[in-house]
Amino acid sequence: MEPLVSMGVLALIGVAATIAGASEDLESDIGSQSNPNSQVQLAPQMAYPHRIYNKAISGEPPSNALMCTIGASVAVVLISALGLSPLFALVLGSVIAATVHGTYAMTATMGRCASQRRFKQPVYLDMIRSHTPAIMGYAFITTFCVLIVSYLMVVVLGHPFPMPVMAFIWGITVGAIGSSTGDVHYGAEREFQQFEFGTGLNASNSGNIVRYAESGVRDSFDNSWFCAKFGGPVTGLSFGMTVFLGSWITTIFNPADGLTTGWLSVIAGVILVVIMIIWNWDIEKKAREAFGPYKQDKEEEATA
Amino acid sequence: MIDIMANLIWIIVVVIGGALISQSVHFIPVGGAPAAMAQATGIGTGTVQLAAGAGLTGLVSAGYMMSVTDNLPLILASAAVGAMIMIAATMIVGSWVYAYGVGCVPASAKVKYDPLTKYRQDLYVSQGTEGHGLPTVCFVSGVIGAALGGIGGALVYYALMEVGMSVVSTNPNLVAVVTIFSIGIFFVNSVIPSYNIGGTIEGFHDPKFKKWPKAVISSLVASLLCAIVAAIAIGQLSGGL
Repeated sequence: MEPLVSMGVLALIGVAATIAGASEDLESDIGSQSNPNSQVQLAPQMAYPHRIYNKAISGEPPSNALMCTIGASVAVVLISALGLSPLFALVLGSVIAATVHGTYAMTATMGRCASQRRFKQPVYLDMIRSHTPAIMGYAFITTFCVLIVSYLMVVVLGHPFPMPVMAFIWGITVGAIGSSTGDVHYGAEREFQQFEFGTGLNASNSGNIVRYAESGVRDSFDNSWFCAKFGGPVTGLSFGMTVFLGSWITTIFNPADGLTTGWLSVIAGVILVVIMIIWNWDIEKKAREAFGPYKQDKEEEATA
Repeated sequence: MIDIMANLIWIIVVVIGGALISQSVHFIPVGGAPAAMAQATGIGTGTVQLAAGAGLTGLVSAGYMMSVTDNLPLILASAAVGAMIMIAATMIVGSWVYAYGVGCVPASAKVKYDPLTKYRQDLYVSQGTEGHGLPTVCFVSGVIGAALGGIGGALVYYALMEVGMSVVSTNPNLVAVVTIFSIGIFFVNSVIPSYNIGGTIEGFHDPKFKKWPKAVISSLVASLLCAIVAAIAIGQLSGGL
């Protein structure tokens, strides 16, 4: 393929991956999935009943992998057996995946809230009715974008993995990334905004999540609104970087051109990783200067 | 029986790959749920999830490289680089969130000084937490772990493809079956070290890291069983693919 065409396809893959990452994080924030959900689950037990959607279906990677594999399998069947246009097939596959995800979300939150009856945690049916379609909407966007990435990689860039397997792997990866990056913004910041910024979460404050909004009781729409300002977009950047940079090095230095070019692609990848290590060190240095030490040095105190 | 003896060398390669995956997980700084609340140092997710995310991204790179070349060192290197890029992209964005979104200094609670940068750590750990964020030593450890995981996953994939290709020529069905087996073996070997890690580990400087031989020996046994089943299944299945 023309290098320029493959660069264009790669750009499209990068964009789709970025959107997938952002919507994946917001989907997990609005439904309160993954690690921060431990606090939502703990809150009623610490006498803080809340109005937050509580759907930890499973860890984010398996749940996203399930969604994406269902979508990809349906799409592949529609394309190969019924001869449907790929775009329609991907959309239909994503709709079915989002519906399945919505079913899991609803049963998970109802089961979890109902099991906490002894802690006086209500089951807010209106909250479930209003939030589930939004969760399904985000799930649709995530699945559709991951399917686009998988379809382009398999059909256009000629990757040997079959599309459902590719969607499964990217589903695991997008879940792992969303759970590692954007969820921290939800778990460490949004859930505990009443405590001083930058203190981390003192273990003694566990379960004491924010339950009241500017007006009325806080629900998961408020959390999604907040995380859409930072956590969601950076998760998108992270997944976009992973998918784009991973394929970019082999598009620029195509290993099919020879062994030397193949090794050049490896060197390019290592250089990118070294740049990120230095970048992280720089962030660490600046954060230490900006926030300062939290404690006095006991040895210094003793000498003084 | 014939399948096992004929593919003995590839079974050994799968076992080595499994042991590498098991070792790699100890390097990856995962803080589990506490890290997602800035209550522990490391990446805020589970061990298996992150190791699998990185290793499988490496598998995508290895699969592509294997379709254009049969040079094993290049296939392994590209898998290592694919996994390293995934984990580095995740950790750098994680650092953005900790520094700019949560306002925490990257600090380790397991060591007084960062072995690489020599920065003092204990003074920067906020009250009631076990550290937070990703200091340089954790970042470097994570990158090493991803590289090992990528190589391990690629070794498993390469060996099982060789088992299949001794029966039929490369085709999408064979690739699908081999990939699923590789993913399965990857998950088995990334779960075993979780018993050592117990939810959180900061990397090679963490005292828990010293427990790695136990996990690797367990992985050798588990991978051997998986490899025998995989060799028989792929050897038999490939005839119909």
